[in-house]
Amino acid sequence: MIRAIGAVAMLAAGILICGAASADTILLGAVLPLTGPAAVVGTQEMRGIQFAIDATNAKGGVQGNKVEVQFEDNQAKADQAVLIFNKLVDLQHIPMMFVGYSGPTLAMAPLATRKKVLMVNAGAQADKLSTASPYLVNTLPSTGDEVKVMSKYLIEQGKKNAAVLFENDAPGIGGRDDFVDLFPKAGGTVLAQEPAQFGQTDYRPALLKLAAAKPDVLYVVITAGMPSLVQQLHQMNPDFLVAGSTFMADPAAIADPASNGIIHTQVQIDAPPDLATAFKAKYGNDMDFFARQYYNAAQIVLTVLDKLASEKQPVTGETMHDMLFRIHRFQGLIPMEFNSNTATVPIGINEMKDGKDVTLKQVMAQ
Amino acid sequence: MILLQLLINGLVTGCALGVVAISFALVYATTKIFHVAHAGVYTLAGYIAWMLASHGVPDVLALAAAVVVCAAVGALIQSQLYARLERRRATHLVVLIASLGLLAVMQNILAAVFSPNILQFPVLWGSRIIALGGIRLTYSQLLTVVVCLAAYVGVMWFAYATPLGKRIRAVASNPFLAQITRLQPNAVYVYVVAIASAIVALPGVLVPLDLGLQPYGGITPLLTATIAMIAGGVGSISGAFMLSIVIAVLQNLSLLVIPGEWSIGITFFIFVIFMLFRPTGLFAAAR
Repeated sequence: MIRAIGAVAMLAAGILICGAASADTILLGAVLPLTGPAAVVGTQEMRGIQFAIDATNAKGGVQGNKVEVQFEDNQAKADQAVLIFNKLVDLQHIPMMFVGYSGPTLAMAPLATRKKVLMVNAGAQADKLSTASPYLVNTLPSTGDEVKVMSKYLIEQGKKNAAVLFENDAPGIGGRDDFVDLFPKAGGTVLAQEPAQFGQTDYRPALLKLAAAKPDVLYVVITAGMPSLVQQLHQMNPDFLVAGSTFMADPAAIADPASNGIIHTQVQIDAPPDLATAFKAKYGNDMDFFARQYYNAAQIVLTVLDKLASEKQPVTGETMHDMLFRIHRFQGLIPMEFNSNTATVPIGINEMKDGKDVTLKQVMAQ
Repeated sequence: MILLQLLINGLVTGCALGVVAISFALVYATTKIFHVAHAGVYTLAGYIAWMLASHGVPDVLALAAAVVVCAAVGALIQSQLYARLERRRATHLVVLIASLGLLAVMQNILAAVFSPNILQFPVLWGSRIIALGGIRLTYSQLLTVVVCLAAYVGVMWFAYATPLGKRIRAVASNPFLAQITRLQPNAVYVYVVAIASAIVALPGVLVPLDLGLQPYGGITPLLTATIAMIAGGVGSISGAFMLSIVIAVLQNLSLLVIPGEWSIGITFFIFVIFMLFRPTGLFAAAR
């Protein structure tokens, strides 16, 4: 019996020794979708984080401490995310993790509150994320914030009658609900709404039905299938404006001349040319929106770690959380303020024009 | 005008579904195998053509290559999977599960090789528009109608006017008699699955040309085509083709009176009621 207990204790000690980072290494976590349908986004997010961490480590790390990020795959599933959270926090005592996707992040949020683990989200936009946990900070605005900006802009342009095409899933319904709530408050009327299934690419029947309502503007909340939608809208030759959110910023759709005139809100985050070139040289892919977002989020975290190290404070979820709000204002790829758990960042109104996404107007919105 | 445009859109979708239905019906009526992996062959066709077109191969050659490769894959499926299972006296349920498994394998390979993203064909002419009065159609939609109608006529001619077509119908009618009269049913089964796979490659390429490619995109067309085949009367090529068009048109027109999320459910509910009154299908007598 004593032998057995001794063996278990040695095994546990071994696991702890293997799992823990060395004394001068700060180990962080990232719970992202690295396989499955969302892997394209998750992989870019992972690259954005790793790119920032590698650059810092190449310069000697944070005050001489190397930083490592342990990437874990949640497959964009809430149950997987909770399992991984417990593994990272209970076994490896990770003080902070990068997270993405609304469902998994919302599932982990109560655990983050209870265990005082800082979570930094730079990709998900569900409205509930803003108040899900005091330990969850969002470096991009919620869908509702974008809808508010777009609603105001549309009314300014005299587009007061709208129809909504939305994806019949959580992000689409959330965006639809925001628009149906906020557009009338801005002075507009929603005439009709029609759903599309996730992954569906034949929007023609829904578009014809919505066009029959004779709107001034069609507000679109779909997360996939933008190139097909753009071509089918062009085929219709509509006499209404087409508007949407960051979801619309699909590079393939923007590159298609058929998208000329479509407007959308977009979190404004650009990478300097030399940074974008270095990223492409390393990974063979462009530094897209999600890579830029998570690079920026990693820079925020590194700034927090640097400040903690310079003040010789321990690195825990609580100290990182407090320091982030103490620093309050960050200058990464974009200027960013944390007046609440969701950053105040610039939101642009962009127009797709001749294969490019041109910013018409920029506003600060929380 | 909206009614007419919805009707035309339904016709375009229906013609493509019709070819899926007649090719599926050809396999089912002859081999009695519920060939679910047909959805995988349909999807594979699009990816082959997309890959070739992306490498600069002329569009017509890419389509032809997809047809040939799918025919070969179909022959392999029959000779290396279904025939082996039959030799081991596998039940229909086991064969169905094997077919489902093959579909999952094909979809996952396609997703792993080409990514699960929606891919667009690098073909500019496909999205060009023809305006006929108030009706606006893309070249790819128009081509889908023309090719799929031609495929339907071709299959009818093949089934009723060629020796192989007659042999297939004989095997479908009575495999035992076909065996003792040296019609070699096992060889016929390979021909049938190969031919059906070649036929389904046509909408497999033309539909994604219009709507984009997805690795899991073959299931919904196959489900609709299967219902069309059953409602049209198993064994009736014309029944399967016409019912596919009726279903697609109904789905489009139903949007005028009900929200989109109810469209598929209500359309199929109508068919469930229809099947209660005519379980053998509309054109069962034409077998």
